[in-house]
Amino acid sequence: MPRQDLGFGVDPESYDIVIHIRREQDIATARQVVKNFAQENGFSLADVTKVTTAVSELARNVYRYAGTGSVCLRRTTRDHGTPGLEIVAVDRGPGISDVARVLAGGFSTYERSLGIGLAGVRRLMDEFEIRSEPGAGTLVRVTKYRRSL
Amino acid sequence: MLEELLPTLSNDPQAQSLWKDFLTALSSPGGPSDQLLEPLLRTLGEEDVASGLRRIAETLPGSSETELLRLALRASGRIRRELEDEANRLRDTLRDLATPIVRIWKDVLLVPLIGSLDSVRAETLAERLLEAASATRAKVVIVDVTGLPTIDTAVGGFLIEMFAAVRLLGTSVVLTGIRPNVAHTLVKLGIDFRMVGIARDLEDALRMSLELVANGETEKKKRSAAAWNAPGEGNHDAAG
Amino acid sequence: MVPTIRVSDCLLVPIQVDLDDATVERLQQQLLREIEAERAQAVILDVSMVDVIDSYISYTISETASMARLMGCRTVLCGIRPHVALTLAQMGVRLRNVAFARDLEHALILARRRGTGGVPGIAPPGPRVRG
Repeated sequence: MPRQDLGFGVDPESYDIVIHIRREQDIATARQVVKNFAQENGFSLADVTKVTTAVSELARNVYRYAGTGSVCLRRTTRDHGTPGLEIVAVDRGPGISDVARVLAGGFSTYERSLGIGLAGVRRLMDEFEIRSEPGAGTLVRVTKYRRSL
Repeated sequence: MLEELLPTLSNDPQAQSLWKDFLTALSSPGGPSDQLLEPLLRTLGEEDVASGLRRIAETLPGSSETELLRLALRASGRIRRELEDEANRLRDTLRDLATPIVRIWKDVLLVPLIGSLDSVRAETLAERLLEAASATRAKVVIVDVTGLPTIDTAVGGFLIEMFAAVRLLGTSVVLTGIRPNVAHTLVKLGIDFRMVGIARDLEDALRMSLELVANGETEKKKRSAAAWNAPGEGNHDAAG
Repeated sequence: MVPTIRVSDCLLVPIQVDLDDATVERLQQQLLREIEAERAQAVILDVSMVDVIDSYISYTISETASMARLMGCRTVLCGIRPHVALTLAQMGVRLRNVAFARDLEHALILARRRGTGGVPGIAPPGPRVRG
């Protein structure tokens, strides 16, 4: 069977959970799913909240700006074996022409609300990566590591 | 056979007694539980226990070295987890001692910050402070930064986030302990703590806090008085 | 429809459901209707059961507060959970035109306070602290 590509080479098979975003309700579904996933993987309440909020933002961006896309979750580890949670939000939507500008606050209302969500997500997560090409789509990859307290 | 085996496992009478318990359980119908290996591991260490288990597997028919080692691994894992929990508890205690959150008055919490504030410490502190403020329904939190040698952009950012979060709980913040060099740096960096009250020292901070608490009490009394005095008004606590 | 409770001339709105986008938008409509119908002078949103507030929900609450303000009604947010507060603060989300209360008692005090909705971190203008 040919390898699926959700966009930017994201293969759903390599993720633990994939949530397809097609309708508005899917944003709430994505929130619930990641909340459970984070709790099951031993994240603290504070970090579960951050991760859930981040997914809410990313899923909403996918729905509003691309119409459809996917939110993929998987367990991951850092160098010393610190467990983490990787979240990828990917779509084949219109893409963002000037990512830096959007992250910095943007000019239009459209850019501003997109930016607020993304900038907020970046501050909540330990790692943040965004790739976007007008006409090809957008990929946002973020990771949160469990704090070894 | 047991008596012959024991001395080969250990010279120490206490260890022999532990081995004896294990060997007895080994020959009983249920088989030994890995818990019996815990005291052996703690006393003798992994090497000696592993050698002992090999010796047992060689000597006793029907015992598998692999199975015995698996038991030992489980027991070892349990010991490790216990030690980790203990280490975490100590870390927590250390952290709490380093940054106490003190209830210095009814509805007033004091947080004296000392030392450096990195992102992990700042995050943990913010979480603890918010939990405490919420649980005690604190009206005011006094944050004393006298013990922070410098406040750079990063630390300023952490503090601003912490203050903003505390305010979202409906709790007021009073900041104190900013020394001249720190004040100088903050303004140059463009950091102003505009969203909080600022006191010049702890005494001033406490006075401001008590004022806030008193204001709240006055307003509460005014509200109750109004409810009593105005006949058509009062509490309609049913829906609609 | 979210059940609301009238307390004196304030509208108390306990939010006990997951706030998805559609619910939040419907809630805005409902609140504006009820503020007018009840001639409420304040609306108190009790979010002590809400465990996620993202930028869109924050934006809609602020927007609703602005609309309510134009109708002479103050908005108070009551009972934000500690971890939700920290997340909001770290995201840098601003909740404009809203006052924040520790609990219902505090909310009712804030509902009556003179001045605009967004209260600063310290109390209302009162006697200046001297000395």
